[in-house]
Amino acid sequence: MVERKIRIALAGNANVGKSVIFNYLTGLHQHIGNWPGKTVEKAEGTLHFKGYTIDIIDLPGIYSMSTYSIEEQITREYIVNERPDVVINVVDASILERNLYFTLQLMEMEIPMILALNQMDMAKRKGVEIDVNKLEKILGIPVVPTIAIKGVGVFKLLEKAIEVAEKKEPKRAAIAPFGRDVEEKIAELSKMIERVGCRYPPRYVAIRLLEGDEEMEREVMKLSPNLIEVAERFSREIEEMHGHASSTVIAAERHEAASRIAREVQKIIPPVKPRFEERLHTLTTHRVAGYIIMIFLLLSILYSIFAVGGYISDLLNTMFYGVEDFLYILVGAEAFGRLVWGVLEGIIAGATIALPYIVPFYVILYLLEDSGYLSRVAFLMDSVMHKMGLHGKAFIPLILGYGCNVPACLGCRIMETWRERLLAVFATTLVPCAARTVIILGLVGKYLGVEWALGLYALNLSVIFALGRLAFKALPGEPTALIMEMHDYRLPHLKTVLKQTWFRLLEFVKIAFPLIVFGSFMIKFIEVFGMLKPIAQALSPITVMWLGLPEITGIALIFGILRKELTLIMLATLLGTTRFADIPGFGPIQMIVFTIVTMFYIPCVSTIAALVKEIGWRNALLITVFEIVFAVAVGGIAYRLLAILYPLRDFHPVRVEGLPSFSGLRVFYR
Amino acid sequence: MGRMMIPLTALRDGETATVVSIDGGPEMGRRQRRRGFEKRLIDMGLTPGIKVTVVKSAPLHGPIEVIVRGSRLALGRGVAERILVEVERNG
Repeated sequence: MVERKIRIALAGNANVGKSVIFNYLTGLHQHIGNWPGKTVEKAEGTLHFKGYTIDIIDLPGIYSMSTYSIEEQITREYIVNERPDVVINVVDASILERNLYFTLQLMEMEIPMILALNQMDMAKRKGVEIDVNKLEKILGIPVVPTIAIKGVGVFKLLEKAIEVAEKKEPKRAAIAPFGRDVEEKIAELSKMIERVGCRYPPRYVAIRLLEGDEEMEREVMKLSPNLIEVAERFSREIEEMHGHASSTVIAAERHEAASRIAREVQKIIPPVKPRFEERLHTLTTHRVAGYIIMIFLLLSILYSIFAVGGYISDLLNTMFYGVEDFLYILVGAEAFGRLVWGVLEGIIAGATIALPYIVPFYVILYLLEDSGYLSRVAFLMDSVMHKMGLHGKAFIPLILGYGCNVPACLGCRIMETWRERLLAVFATTLVPCAARTVIILGLVGKYLGVEWALGLYALNLSVIFALGRLAFKALPGEPTALIMEMHDYRLPHLKTVLKQTWFRLLEFVKIAFPLIVFGSFMIKFIEVFGMLKPIAQALSPITVMWLGLPEITGIALIFGILRKELTLIMLATLLGTTRFADIPGFGPIQMIVFTIVTMFYIPCVSTIAALVKEIGWRNALLITVFEIVFAVAVGGIAYRLLAILYPLRDFHPVRVEGLPSFSGLRVFYR
Repeated sequence: MGRMMIPLTALRDGETATVVSIDGGPEMGRRQRRRGFEKRLIDMGLTPGIKVTVVKSAPLHGPIEVIVRGSRLALGRGVAERILVEVERNG
């Protein structure tokens, strides 16, 4: 028997348990990629069930079908153009009213759909009881109650979805949610649209036009400009009748319909005592306690990522670097052997820097997001982050960037709009990661004292603020204000979190590793064929004349592209000493300048790979080039300023004891 | 007892008011186009006539926590200032 194919799309608000259902159904047969030409994540999976091959696509979590965000655009385009066999609308039973607003919009698209009434357990805790049969009758579509995290009802959902998909009948909405005068206008306009002939359902087009949807206007303009005029006239009439813009009226009436339906099907008996999750919310958003908890939590997260990541990283490092000698015995330490080592070193760099930090980071980020804590942090930090042109959510990737920029950049996907994501990613690449901390502490902190190291951190922070603001002003588009739902706290679903981590990791490896290996190979190539010296000489106008550094530092900086701590390691290798204070021409001023340049000059190759993945080639390149120019400029200015401030006085290099030992430093003293 | 029209930001913690309108700023284009944030607010259920309760606001001029249509929202101060509400107050 030939297997029949069915395409199912999961749609719904954010945080309703869509991805839990998706992961439950698809297991390990899924593929995470990006939507073509977009940097929004696309999760697809396949399963076999009762003789069907079912392709499931998890659409982005959104609140509306307008085209305000990329996610909304993608969802809308997918549903109306690709027309899946059935859409499963996942709703949160505990906040039915808000979710039904989206359901009504989906129904306007006249696609076969069913409703997954999810998080029934949460609803029960809130004292919400829902009459499923009544809801089914009102909406005219099958409704299946589910508790996805326990797998309750998920297979029934699948069976129902297949049933609906097999019927293949376009679903006309069973209800007319709008007021009489609006409905009349919609009906009249639909008739006209039907005569012209449009590839979308006429009623859907009519509603969109009355809402002043620009995307739809463009589409209809091609068919009949006259229709637009009629739609505009109708909109004005609605506006005159109701005293609000017609788009507002339509949205308001849709909300009212959702509210009416919710009232009709649910009985709420709120619990007498405030629930645990409510008290937790009050505590974690408290004006004093909230910040204390947040700082404590984030520090322990940063520490544990460091500790776990650092430990694994060290372990892998010792393991891998042992291979070097073995390799040379095997293929010889000649050019060929060293080139092979270059490739291996790239893989090692990826495996030891990126992976040990990405895995715990992803797990923690998803836990924070799933549980609802992320939105509380955004609430607490919004005003501070606004000062650097970002909104509250960006605080998390930014802080975790102090561990490693790579996962931090990947984490910027929690930002809602493209513009926000770009700004957050940019700011994140400026945060000094662990590797840069090694240089700041290992060079400046060690030889010039902790106060200088702290000074550099302060400089870094002010640069992030200043550049963040500047980018915020320069980037076209409206600043996105914080409009965010804070859903009830809940226990995250660990299995989903782990699966999400695993698939994101795979995707990162696919994109980043070729780039890392290529970069590593190129640098080895340059080294093996004796081109380091000529390149260092070629760079000397910048390194020597503008930055006042010894020529040899040019080579160190090139290696730093691979991984930042390599700048220091290479410097030691090239000079044959780790006592940097003894290097002629590498005084305190040079140390500071060198560190400043290293801090800003380029995201390491793994970070660039993450940038490419999150914001595309063009923007990744733009940020890279900008940061090189910026670092060189700031370094040169610092050199001149310091030279004026300390013309004759040589600060005496002091050796600072008792600095914390960082994994990178240990590598460095190998 | 007096009715007054004030921005959402002027409400006290715990106070409930009715949304009157959202000030979307200067008109754009030939027809009034809703600006992004206005659209978002309306999509999130802050439509004229709806009751909204202020829970609290974050320190340092931070966002405001409100309850609307049974769910909890955080609104940046900039947007909250543009939401005009009607409230009944004694005295």
